[in-house]
Amino acid sequence: MKWPLVRRPVPQSQVPLYNRFYLHASRASQVDPTLVWGTEIDADALRAFLHERNRHGRVVLTAAHALIRAAALALEQFPEINARLVGRRIYPFREINIRMAFFHRRNSEMDLLLIENANLKSLERIGLEIWQRLLQAGRGEGGRDRDLARFRRIPSFWFRQIVRLYGFLDRHFRLPTLGRIDATRAGSVMVNDLSFTGAPPMRMYKPTRFPDRSDAFNLTLGPIEPKVVARSDQFASVNVMPLFLRADHRLADAQQVGRFLGAVRELLSHPERLAGGYFEIADIDRIVDAKRK
Amino acid sequence: MTINRKKLEDDLMHFVRSRSPRHAAASPQMDLLESGLLDSLLLVDLILQIEESYGVRFDSDQVNPSNFRTVEDIVGVVLGQLPMPQPQAD
Repeated sequence: MKWPLVRRPVPQSQVPLYNRFYLHASRASQVDPTLVWGTEIDADALRAFLHERNRHGRVVLTAAHALIRAAALALEQFPEINARLVGRRIYPFREINIRMAFFHRRNSEMDLLLIENANLKSLERIGLEIWQRLLQAGRGEGGRDRDLARFRRIPSFWFRQIVRLYGFLDRHFRLPTLGRIDATRAGSVMVNDLSFTGAPPMRMYKPTRFPDRSDAFNLTLGPIEPKVVARSDQFASVNVMPLFLRADHRLADAQQVGRFLGAVRELLSHPERLAGGYFEIADIDRIVDAKRK
Repeated sequence: MTINRKKLEDDLMHFVRSRSPRHAAASPQMDLLESGLLDSLLLVDLILQIEESYGVRFDSDQVNPSNFRTVEDIVGVVLGQLPMPQPQAD
Protein backbone atom coordinates (compact mmCIF):
# COMPACT_ATOMS: atom_id res chain seq x y z
CA MET A 1 0.00 0.00 0.00
CA LYS A 2 1.34 3.44 -0.98
CA TRP A 3 0.17 6.96 -0.22
CA PRO A 4 0.78 8.94 -3.41
CA LEU A 5 -0.46 12.24 -1.96
CA VAL A 6 1.09 14.25 0.87
CA ARG A 7 -0.78 14.35 4.16
CA ARG A 8 -1.89 18.02 4.16
CA PRO A 9 -3.67 19.87 1.36
CA VAL A 10 -2.45 23.17 -0.09
CA PRO A 11 -3.85 25.98 2.12
CA GLN A 12 -6.73 27.73 0.35
CA SER A 13 -4.98 31.07 0.88
CA GLN A 14 -2.20 29.87 -1.45
CA VAL A 15 -4.58 28.90 -4.25
CA PRO A 16 -4.97 31.66 -6.88
CA LEU A 17 -8.35 33.38 -6.60
CA TYR A 18 -9.63 32.44 -10.05
CA ASN A 19 -8.71 28.80 -9.49
CA ARG A 20 -10.82 29.00 -6.33
CA PHE A 21 -13.77 30.38 -8.30
CA TYR A 22 -13.70 27.21 -10.40
CA LEU A 23 -12.99 25.07 -7.36
CA HIS A 24 -16.02 26.28 -5.46
CA ALA A 25 -18.43 26.78 -8.35
CA SER A 26 -21.72 24.99 -7.86
CA ARG A 27 -22.71 22.16 -10.17
CA ALA A 28 -25.74 24.18 -11.18
CA SER A 29 -23.48 26.79 -12.82
CA GLN A 30 -22.30 24.04 -15.21
CA VAL A 31 -18.83 25.57 -15.25
CA ASP A 32 -16.24 23.82 -17.41
CA PRO A 33 -12.79 24.10 -15.82
CA THR A 34 -11.01 22.60 -18.83
CA LEU A 35 -8.21 24.59 -20.43
CA VAL A 36 -6.59 23.48 -23.68
CA TRP A 37 -3.37 24.99 -25.03
CA GLY A 38 -1.79 23.83 -28.27
CA THR A 39 1.71 24.58 -29.49
CA GLU A 40 4.35 22.88 -31.62
CA ILE A 41 7.90 21.70 -31.14
CA ASP A 42 10.95 21.55 -33.39
CA ALA A 43 10.70 17.98 -34.65
CA ASP A 44 14.02 18.15 -36.50
CA ALA A 45 15.90 18.72 -33.26
CA LEU A 46 14.07 15.91 -31.46
CA ARG A 47 14.49 13.52 -34.37
CA ALA A 48 18.22 14.26 -34.70
CA PHE A 49 18.66 13.74 -30.96
CA LEU A 50 16.81 10.40 -30.98
CA HIS A 51 18.75 9.22 -34.05
CA GLU A 52 22.01 10.08 -32.32
CA ARG A 53 21.02 8.29 -29.11
CA ASN A 54 19.76 5.31 -31.10
CA ARG A 55 23.05 5.12 -32.98
CA HIS A 56 25.09 4.34 -29.87
CA GLY A 57 22.55 3.64 -27.11
CA ARG A 58 21.58 0.54 -25.17
CA VAL A 59 17.80 0.95 -25.58
CA VAL A 60 15.66 1.97 -28.57
CA LEU A 61 14.35 5.45 -27.73
CA THR A 62 11.20 7.07 -29.16
CA ALA A 63 9.46 10.42 -28.88
CA ALA A 64 7.22 8.98 -26.12
CA HIS A 65 10.23 8.40 -23.87
CA ALA A 66 11.43 11.96 -24.48
CA LEU A 67 7.93 13.29 -23.74
CA ILE A 68 7.84 11.48 -20.39
CA ARG A 69 11.21 12.80 -19.31
CA ALA A 70 10.37 16.32 -20.52
CA ALA A 71 7.08 16.30 -18.59
CA ALA A 72 8.88 15.09 -15.44
CA LEU A 73 11.60 17.74 -15.66
CA ALA A 74 8.99 20.44 -16.28
CA LEU A 75 7.08 19.25 -13.19
CA GLU A 76 10.26 19.74 -11.18
CA GLN A 77 10.20 23.38 -12.29
CA PHE A 78 6.47 23.81 -11.65
CA PRO A 79 5.57 21.62 -8.66
CA GLU A 80 2.13 23.27 -8.34
CA ILE A 81 1.12 21.25 -11.41
CA ASN A 82 2.05 17.98 -9.67
CA ALA A 83 -1.17 17.87 -7.64
CA ARG A 84 -4.74 16.62 -7.75
CA LEU A 85 -8.11 17.40 -6.30
CA VAL A 86 -9.75 15.51 -3.46
CA GLY A 87 -13.14 17.02 -2.82
CA ARG A 88 -12.44 20.76 -2.97
CA ARG A 89 -8.93 20.45 -1.60
CA ILE A 90 -5.69 20.32 -3.59
CA TYR A 91 -3.12 17.73 -2.57
CA PRO A 92 0.41 17.65 -4.00
CA PHE A 93 1.84 14.30 -5.06
CA ARG A 94 4.84 13.01 -3.11
CA GLU A 95 6.77 11.96 -6.20
CA ILE A 96 6.96 12.94 -9.83
CA ASN A 97 5.27 10.04 -11.56
CA ILE A 98 4.10 10.15 -15.15
CA ARG A 99 1.22 8.14 -16.60
CA MET A 100 1.31 7.01 -20.21
CA ALA A 101 -1.45 5.66 -22.40
CA PHE A 102 -0.39 2.76 -24.63
CA PHE A 103 -2.01 0.27 -26.94
CA HIS A 104 -2.40 -3.07 -25.19
CA ARG A 105 -1.67 -5.43 -28.04
CA ARG A 106 -3.19 -8.57 -26.52
CA ASN A 107 -6.45 -6.93 -25.40
CA SER A 108 -6.65 -4.60 -28.45
CA GLU A 109 -7.47 -1.64 -26.24
CA MET A 110 -5.76 1.25 -24.49
CA ASP A 111 -4.13 0.76 -21.12
CA LEU A 112 -2.10 2.93 -18.77
CA LEU A 113 1.36 2.52 -17.34
CA LEU A 114 3.12 4.54 -14.68
CA ILE A 115 6.73 5.65 -14.67
CA GLU A 116 7.60 6.37 -11.06
CA ASN A 117 10.15 9.08 -10.21
CA ALA A 118 10.52 9.87 -13.90
CA ASN A 119 12.49 13.01 -13.07
CA LEU A 120 15.27 10.86 -11.57
CA LYS A 121 15.41 8.29 -14.36
CA SER A 122 17.53 8.50 -17.49
CA LEU A 123 15.85 8.33 -20.87
CA GLU A 124 17.27 4.84 -21.30
CA ARG A 125 15.80 3.69 -17.96
CA ILE A 126 12.41 5.11 -18.95
CA GLY A 127 12.70 3.39 -22.33
CA LEU A 128 13.63 0.06 -20.75
CA GLU A 129 10.67 0.15 -18.35
CA ILE A 130 8.26 0.98 -21.15
CA TRP A 131 9.51 -1.79 -23.45
CA GLN A 132 9.27 -4.20 -20.55
CA ARG A 133 5.63 -3.28 -19.94
CA LEU A 134 4.71 -3.27 -23.65
CA LEU A 135 6.16 -6.74 -24.16
CA GLN A 136 4.57 -8.01 -20.95
CA ALA A 137 1.20 -6.63 -22.08
CA GLY A 138 1.61 -8.11 -25.56
CA ARG A 139 2.20 -11.56 -24.01
CA GLY A 140 -0.55 -11.02 -21.44
CA GLU A 141 1.69 -12.27 -18.65
CA GLY A 142 2.02 -9.28 -16.31
CA GLY A 143 0.34 -9.07 -12.92
CA ARG A 144 -1.69 -6.10 -14.11
CA ASP A 145 -2.86 -8.09 -17.14
CA ARG A 146 -4.13 -10.86 -14.91
CA ASP A 147 -5.92 -8.28 -12.73
CA LEU A 148 -7.46 -6.64 -15.80
CA ALA A 149 -8.64 -10.06 -17.03
CA ARG A 150 -10.34 -10.69 -13.65
CA PHE A 151 -11.87 -7.22 -13.77
CA ARG A 152 -13.25 -7.92 -17.23
CA ARG A 153 -15.11 -10.99 -15.98
CA ILE A 154 -17.12 -9.00 -13.44
CA PRO A 155 -20.80 -8.82 -14.50
CA SER A 156 -21.76 -5.34 -15.76
CA PHE A 157 -24.11 -4.63 -12.84
CA TRP A 158 -21.34 -5.20 -10.29
CA PHE A 159 -18.78 -3.50 -12.50
CA ARG A 160 -20.91 -0.36 -12.44
CA GLN A 161 -21.35 -0.53 -8.66
CA ILE A 162 -17.60 -1.00 -8.09
CA VAL A 163 -16.64 1.84 -10.43
CA ARG A 164 -19.20 4.18 -8.87
CA LEU A 165 -18.24 3.34 -5.30
CA TYR A 166 -14.54 3.64 -6.04
CA GLY A 167 -15.14 6.90 -7.92
CA PHE A 168 -17.03 8.31 -4.92
CA LEU A 169 -14.25 7.36 -2.50
CA ASP A 170 -11.57 8.65 -4.88
CA ARG A 171 -13.33 12.00 -5.26
CA HIS A 172 -13.81 12.60 -1.55
CA PHE A 173 -10.98 10.90 0.33
CA ARG A 174 -7.20 10.85 0.12
CA LEU A 175 -6.85 7.19 -0.76
CA PRO A 176 -3.78 5.01 -0.86
CA THR A 177 -3.03 2.92 -3.94
CA LEU A 178 -3.67 -0.71 -3.14
CA GLY A 179 -2.90 -2.77 -6.19
CA ARG A 180 -1.81 -2.89 -9.78
CA ILE A 181 -5.08 -1.55 -11.19
CA ASP A 182 -5.22 1.67 -9.16
CA ALA A 183 -1.43 2.24 -9.08
CA THR A 184 -1.73 4.38 -12.20
CA ARG A 185 -3.59 7.03 -10.15
CA ALA A 186 -0.28 8.10 -8.62
CA GLY A 187 0.60 10.84 -11.11
CA SER A 188 -0.93 14.14 -12.19
CA VAL A 189 0.29 14.21 -15.79
CA MET A 190 -0.69 11.70 -18.44
CA VAL A 191 1.24 11.64 -21.71
CA ASN A 192 -0.15 10.43 -24.97
CA ASP A 193 2.16 9.81 -27.94
CA LEU A 194 0.07 9.95 -31.12
CA SER A 195 3.05 10.52 -33.43
CA PHE A 196 2.90 6.97 -34.82
CA THR A 197 3.55 6.29 -38.51
CA GLY A 198 0.44 6.95 -40.58
CA ALA A 199 -1.26 9.25 -38.05
CA PRO A 200 -3.02 12.16 -39.82
CA PRO A 201 -1.82 15.74 -39.20
CA MET A 202 -3.21 17.00 -35.92
CA ARG A 203 -4.87 20.42 -35.77
CA MET A 204 -6.68 20.07 -32.52
CA TYR A 205 -6.85 17.47 -29.78
CA LYS A 206 -8.65 17.39 -26.47
CA PRO A 207 -8.51 14.00 -24.83
CA THR A 208 -11.43 13.00 -22.64
CA ARG A 209 -10.84 12.86 -18.92
CA PHE A 210 -10.36 9.52 -17.26
CA PRO A 211 -12.89 9.09 -14.43
CA ASP A 212 -10.29 9.40 -11.66
CA ARG A 213 -9.23 12.88 -10.63
CA SER A 214 -5.52 12.17 -11.04
CA ASP A 215 -6.09 12.86 -14.70
CA ALA A 216 -5.71 16.63 -14.26
CA PHE A 217 -3.14 17.31 -16.97
CA ASN A 218 -2.81 15.54 -20.29
CA LEU A 219 0.05 16.10 -22.75
CA THR A 220 -0.43 14.82 -26.28
CA LEU A 221 2.25 14.77 -28.96
CA GLY A 222 1.07 14.59 -32.56
CA PRO A 223 2.76 13.36 -35.76
CA ILE A 224 5.58 15.13 -37.59
CA GLU A 225 4.57 17.44 -40.43
CA PRO A 226 6.46 19.94 -42.61
CA LYS A 227 5.87 23.65 -42.20
CA VAL A 228 7.19 26.68 -44.07
CA VAL A 229 8.64 29.37 -41.81
CA ALA A 230 10.49 32.66 -42.31
CA ARG A 231 14.11 32.57 -41.14
CA SER A 232 16.49 35.50 -41.72
CA ASP A 233 14.18 37.00 -44.40
CA GLN A 234 14.03 33.67 -46.23
CA PHE A 235 11.48 30.93 -46.33
CA ALA A 236 12.59 27.55 -45.03
CA SER A 237 10.86 24.20 -44.62
CA VAL A 238 11.04 22.74 -41.14
CA ASN A 239 9.39 19.77 -39.44
CA VAL A 240 7.18 20.33 -36.43
CA MET A 241 5.14 18.20 -34.05
CA PRO A 242 1.98 19.53 -32.41
CA LEU A 243 1.87 19.41 -28.62
CA PHE A 244 -1.41 19.82 -26.73
CA LEU A 245 -1.97 20.27 -23.04
CA ARG A 246 -5.41 19.72 -21.52
CA ALA A 247 -5.44 21.15 -18.00
CA ASP A 248 -7.78 21.62 -15.05
CA HIS A 249 -8.31 25.30 -14.23
CA ARG A 250 -9.08 24.41 -10.61
CA LEU A 251 -5.42 23.45 -10.22
CA ALA A 252 -3.67 25.86 -12.56
CA ASP A 253 -4.54 29.07 -14.40
CA ALA A 254 -3.64 29.91 -17.99
CA GLN A 255 -0.39 31.57 -16.99
CA GLN A 256 0.77 28.49 -15.04
CA VAL A 257 -0.39 26.16 -17.79
CA GLY A 258 1.42 28.24 -20.42
CA ARG A 259 4.66 28.29 -18.44
CA PHE A 260 4.52 24.53 -17.84
CA LEU A 261 3.79 23.83 -21.50
CA GLY A 262 6.55 26.27 -22.49
CA ALA A 263 9.01 24.31 -20.32
CA VAL A 264 8.00 21.00 -21.94
CA ARG A 265 8.31 22.60 -25.38
CA GLU A 266 11.77 24.00 -24.62
CA LEU A 267 12.98 20.61 -23.39
CA LEU A 268 11.67 18.79 -26.46
CA SER A 269 12.99 21.43 -28.85
CA HIS A 270 16.41 21.31 -27.11
CA PRO A 271 16.43 17.60 -26.29
CA GLU A 272 20.07 17.58 -25.18
CA ARG A 273 18.61 18.99 -21.94
CA LEU A 274 16.82 15.67 -21.40
CA ALA A 275 20.14 13.96 -20.71
CA GLY A 276 21.01 13.02 -17.14
CA GLY A 277 19.11 10.96 -14.62
CA TYR A 278 20.02 7.50 -13.42
CA PHE A 279 19.94 4.22 -15.28
CA GLU A 280 20.30 1.87 -12.33
CA ILE A 281 17.25 1.41 -10.11
CA ALA A 282 19.49 1.11 -7.04
CA ASP A 283 20.66 4.73 -7.51
CA ILE A 284 17.07 5.96 -7.81
CA ASP A 285 15.96 3.99 -4.73
CA ARG A 286 18.83 5.46 -2.70
CA ILE A 287 17.80 9.03 -3.63
CA VAL A 288 14.09 8.39 -2.99
CA ASP A 289 14.88 6.85 0.43
CA ALA A 290 17.08 9.81 1.33
CA LYS A 291 14.31 12.23 0.31
CA ARG A 292 11.73 10.39 2.44
CA LYS A 293 14.01 10.51 5.49
CA MET B 1 13.84 -25.79 -34.49
CA THR B 2 16.12 -24.87 -37.39
CA ILE B 3 15.29 -21.93 -39.61
CA ASN B 4 16.48 -20.99 -43.02
CA ARG B 5 17.96 -17.44 -42.97
CA LYS B 6 16.33 -16.55 -46.31
CA LYS B 7 12.91 -17.75 -45.17
CA LEU B 8 13.16 -15.80 -41.93
CA GLU B 9 14.23 -12.65 -43.75
CA ASP B 10 11.38 -13.04 -46.26
CA ASP B 11 8.86 -13.51 -43.44
CA LEU B 12 10.05 -10.40 -41.60
CA MET B 13 10.18 -8.32 -44.78
CA HIS B 14 6.63 -9.36 -45.64
CA PHE B 15 5.52 -8.38 -42.13
CA VAL B 16 7.20 -4.95 -42.32
CA ARG B 17 6.17 -4.18 -45.92
CA SER B 18 2.53 -5.02 -45.30
CA ARG B 19 2.35 -2.47 -42.52
CA SER B 20 1.49 0.58 -44.65
CA PRO B 21 2.21 2.05 -48.10
CA ARG B 22 5.16 3.90 -46.55
CA HIS B 23 6.68 0.62 -45.40
CA ALA B 24 6.25 -1.06 -48.80
CA ALA B 25 9.60 0.24 -50.07
CA ALA B 26 11.59 -1.17 -47.12
CA SER B 27 14.59 -3.36 -47.88
CA PRO B 28 16.51 -5.79 -45.62
CA GLN B 29 19.40 -3.33 -45.31
CA MET B 30 17.28 -0.21 -44.76
CA ASP B 31 17.86 1.57 -41.43
CA LEU B 32 14.40 1.30 -39.89
CA LEU B 33 15.24 3.65 -37.02
CA GLU B 34 16.72 6.46 -39.13
CA SER B 35 13.93 6.21 -41.70
CA GLY B 36 11.32 6.53 -38.93
CA LEU B 37 9.55 3.34 -40.07
CA LEU B 38 10.07 1.50 -36.79
CA ASP B 39 7.70 3.05 -34.26
CA SER B 40 6.83 1.43 -30.95
CA LEU B 41 3.69 -0.24 -32.33
CA LEU B 42 5.60 -1.96 -35.15
CA LEU B 43 8.50 -2.90 -32.90
CA VAL B 44 6.24 -4.62 -30.36
CA ASP B 45 4.26 -6.34 -33.11
CA LEU B 46 7.45 -7.52 -34.76
CA ILE B 47 8.82 -8.97 -31.52
CA LEU B 48 5.56 -10.73 -30.68
CA GLN B 49 5.29 -12.09 -34.22
CA ILE B 50 8.83 -13.50 -34.03
CA GLU B 51 8.20 -14.97 -30.59
CA GLU B 52 5.01 -16.64 -31.75
CA SER B 53 6.38 -17.97 -35.02
CA TYR B 54 9.88 -19.03 -34.02
CA GLY B 55 9.63 -19.79 -30.31
CA VAL B 56 12.37 -17.37 -29.25
CA ARG B 57 11.94 -14.84 -26.47
CA PHE B 58 13.13 -11.24 -26.27
CA ASP B 59 13.98 -9.56 -22.98
CA SER B 60 13.38 -5.83 -22.68
CA ASP B 61 17.13 -5.17 -22.52
CA GLN B 62 17.43 -6.76 -25.96
CA VAL B 63 15.31 -3.95 -27.39
CA ASN B 64 18.45 -2.06 -28.28
CA PRO B 65 19.21 -0.22 -31.50
CA SER B 66 21.92 -2.59 -32.70
CA ASN B 67 19.43 -5.50 -32.66
CA PHE B 68 16.62 -3.67 -34.48
CA ARG B 69 18.34 -1.27 -36.87
CA THR B 70 17.68 -3.32 -40.01
CA VAL B 71 15.75 -6.47 -40.85
CA GLU B 72 19.13 -8.16 -41.41
CA ASP B 73 20.10 -7.29 -37.83
CA ILE B 74 16.84 -8.73 -36.50
CA VAL B 75 17.41 -11.92 -38.48
CA GLY B 76 20.87 -12.18 -36.91
CA VAL B 77 19.46 -11.82 -33.39
CA VAL B 78 16.76 -14.44 -33.97
CA LEU B 79 19.23 -16.93 -35.47
CA GLY B 80 21.62 -16.25 -32.58
CA GLN B 81 18.94 -17.29 -30.10
CA LEU B 82 18.07 -20.53 -31.82
CA PRO B 83 19.97 -23.73 -31.00
CA MET B 84 22.69 -24.57 -33.51
CA PRO B 85 21.77 -27.49 -35.81
CA GLN B 86 23.43 -30.70 -34.58
CA PRO B 87 25.86 -32.41 -37.00
CA GLN B 88 24.51 -35.60 -38.54
CA ALA B 89 25.83 -38.78 -36.91
CA ASP B 90 27.69 -41.17 -39.23
